[in-house]
Amino acid sequence: MIIHLGRLKPNLRWLAISMVVLGFSDHPSSLLFQSAQAEDAGNLYNTAVDIRMGNRYFERQCSRCHGFDAKGNDETGAPNLTGRLRRASSDAGIFNIIREGVPGTAMLPVAADVPDATVWQLVAYINSLRYDPLSVELAGDAETGDRLFNGKADCSGCHMVNGRGGRLGPDLSRIGENKTPEDLLLSLMDPDQEVAPRWWTVRAAGADGVIREGFRMNEDSFSLRIMDTDSNLWSFQKRELENYERLEKSTMPSYAESLSDGELDDLVAYLFSLRREVLPQ
Amino acid sequence: MKHATALLVSVFMAATAGAQEDQFSTVITPAFSPITWERLVDARNEPNNWLMYSGTLDSQRYSLLDSINTDNISQLEMKWAYQIPVIDRAETVPLVVDGIMFITEAPSNVVAVDARTGREYWRYDHEMPDDLRICCGRNNRGVAILGETLFMSTLDAHLVAIDARTGNLLWETEVAPHDSGYSKTAAPLIVKDKVVTGIAGGEFGIRGFIDAYDPASGEREWRTYVIPGPGEFGNDTWSDDSWKTGGAATWITGSYDADLNQIYWGTGNPGPDWNGDVRLGDNLYSDSVVALDGDSGEIVWHFQFTPHDVHDYDSIQVPILADIEFKGRQRQVMMWANRNGFYYTLDRSNGEFLIGKPYAAQTWAQGLDPVTGRPIRVPGMAPTYEGIMVSPPIVGATNWYSPGYSQDTGLFYVTSFDGEQEFFKRDEDYEEGERFTGGGGRYTSPMDAFHSSIRAINPETAEIEWEFPIMPRSSAGITTTAGGLVFTGSADGYFFALDASSGEELWNISLGRRVHAAPMTFAVDGEQFVSIASGNVVYTFGLRD
Repeated sequence: MIIHLGRLKPNLRWLAISMVVLGFSDHPSSLLFQSAQAEDAGNLYNTAVDIRMGNRYFERQCSRCHGFDAKGNDETGAPNLTGRLRRASSDAGIFNIIREGVPGTAMLPVAADVPDATVWQLVAYINSLRYDPLSVELAGDAETGDRLFNGKADCSGCHMVNGRGGRLGPDLSRIGENKTPEDLLLSLMDPDQEVAPRWWTVRAAGADGVIREGFRMNEDSFSLRIMDTDSNLWSFQKRELENYERLEKSTMPSYAESLSDGELDDLVAYLFSLRREVLPQ
Repeated sequence: MKHATALLVSVFMAATAGAQEDQFSTVITPAFSPITWERLVDARNEPNNWLMYSGTLDSQRYSLLDSINTDNISQLEMKWAYQIPVIDRAETVPLVVDGIMFITEAPSNVVAVDARTGREYWRYDHEMPDDLRICCGRNNRGVAILGETLFMSTLDAHLVAIDARTGNLLWETEVAPHDSGYSKTAAPLIVKDKVVTGIAGGEFGIRGFIDAYDPASGEREWRTYVIPGPGEFGNDTWSDDSWKTGGAATWITGSYDADLNQIYWGTGNPGPDWNGDVRLGDNLYSDSVVALDGDSGEIVWHFQFTPHDVHDYDSIQVPILADIEFKGRQRQVMMWANRNGFYYTLDRSNGEFLIGKPYAAQTWAQGLDPVTGRPIRVPGMAPTYEGIMVSPPIVGATNWYSPGYSQDTGLFYVTSFDGEQEFFKRDEDYEEGERFTGGGGRYTSPMDAFHSSIRAINPETAEIEWEFPIMPRSSAGITTTAGGLVFTGSADGYFFALDASSGEELWNISLGRRVHAAPMTFAVDGEQFVSIASGNVVYTFGLRD
């Protein structure tokens, strides 16, 4: 299946999600896993019904910490489960975390009497939240997108990829791991739609009367830290500032008009390719 | 050779002992003397000690200590830190009794340390089953003390009695079966000769209650269900059999008025939290404050803040009691900033609603009925299958974090959050021991986009007198002192002091990890200290020598 991203189609998300490829096992004996520790022989509970059952269990048992949308919670420390997982790279890895918990964190094991089948359904649901990038074909050409990134579109003036590029936007070296192609296209066309607080702009008037403006690297109840356009790092105590204001918008221009549909497709294909190497299961 | 070494050591010890005798001209008293009920009733007048979770039975968290004050607060410095060995989120409020501090740790342990140095006397590690049913992390918030015995709730829904001198277990009582979804996290409250304690598990379809136990034997003296059974007043506020699984957990410590002989306790959300279709009616006494007779435990009066709640607006805030002038008349009041976004002043002798207004962003109610205090709902704000945006979010305008009150300013202080969240409804059948919530919530904006603050409220007018902004928000409690100070903390890891009159920032220190507990203050040998848990550490501060 080929996804054309020139202009966003409302049903795109469904198309993309339906392409999730889960780790099928060709070893029926994996059904016999009843021990707490699973080995990586794949998940047999991965039908659409299993995913729904897993979703239901997740909403009931897991969403208190991980959020109803599984995107995590900074305050509880529960990670976002919709992107690449930090602690597990396989179905068995996810299974073991659910079964055993993560020592030293608030991630507790599921109750011992929860059947393995339920845990596998949960694994299937968590897997369904992510793309398998190998299954996604995009209309654009990543190499052409790479040239655009470093040339006409001048994305590298602000963004770094693998250590090369500017500091005035997020590092995009692994952007393909946590963003869908449609997310990437939306960001290119309407950068203001979702701006992480790290990239808000702060204007601070210091006690010396000098106004400094930069990215809001971090702010708390009593202080804030910014990086200005010359990459200078500044730290302020709020009580020592005459005033400060915060602009919750992106500094990135929209590419909706400056790039053609085909060029946008190419750029998305390049950005989506930026990830750690993924080995086929 | 061995003999010679021993001789040298004994000579050295003798010399050291001589030096100590010279140094201390007065007799050194041993730490710790037994805590009588009379001492608990009069706890405010021995401010060197912090004798219960909220400091005093009226739960004002107002200390008469004033050697740390608005003039010298800039001289505050860290004296010691105690690192909790089990990594989790510390929600403990330590007690201090005559120079000994009792700290509770995750999951349900206690350590006794020298309050001057943070060095350990003893520790008690509770044996825990491995099939806990807990909604929100492994927490314990503190102990109660009577005589020479500490009383602690445990995550497996037991109550334990521990010898305060040694840490030895004296008795252990199962309050409720943990595998049915019951758990316990809050400090008990001593009322005369009984240990009064609540129960957690409101996300597991439990039936909430408040219990009293004999401190000597651990035998239960009475149990008052806060969901009435068949034939009792209020049972008809639950459709069908929904009262059996209606939640109303009593998971935070209450207060007591010795003159009125009434125990006041908040109750949690009805269950399932976000799907009210299966429990039609007002769902008494969920989201309420109940006043219990101090001897029998019978319900004397109740006030329900949020009838038929569908947003998880638990009313488990700590009731603050004070006698104030209200509209030209001296009244015995109770002050309450609720998770639902409204502040209330009630007459605590009979539960009469005196005044109430929003103190934080809220979109679910048009206001409160001026006579009864019952909320007037905005239609169409119940959770849906598709999600609907409502303020306050699930975490609430405030939550379990202790508010404070100052007898000097007459102001009530609360940690408040102006957030919003999409609420979802789901259909779920009750299964014993499983979560029973019927939905959930989702933020659509980053936490930094919301406004939070410490707010000072005038209990006579319910108006906000000042506010101090914090970000992204706070889940810390508040303690006030006769030194004119308000101590509190924030989720971004600060511990700080404000001027109780003006809200002006006076002092802060970055402790690096979320403050998720309430501060307390005490004195040893006439020197005042203030302690706060942050991350997994209990920090203690005092004035620079």
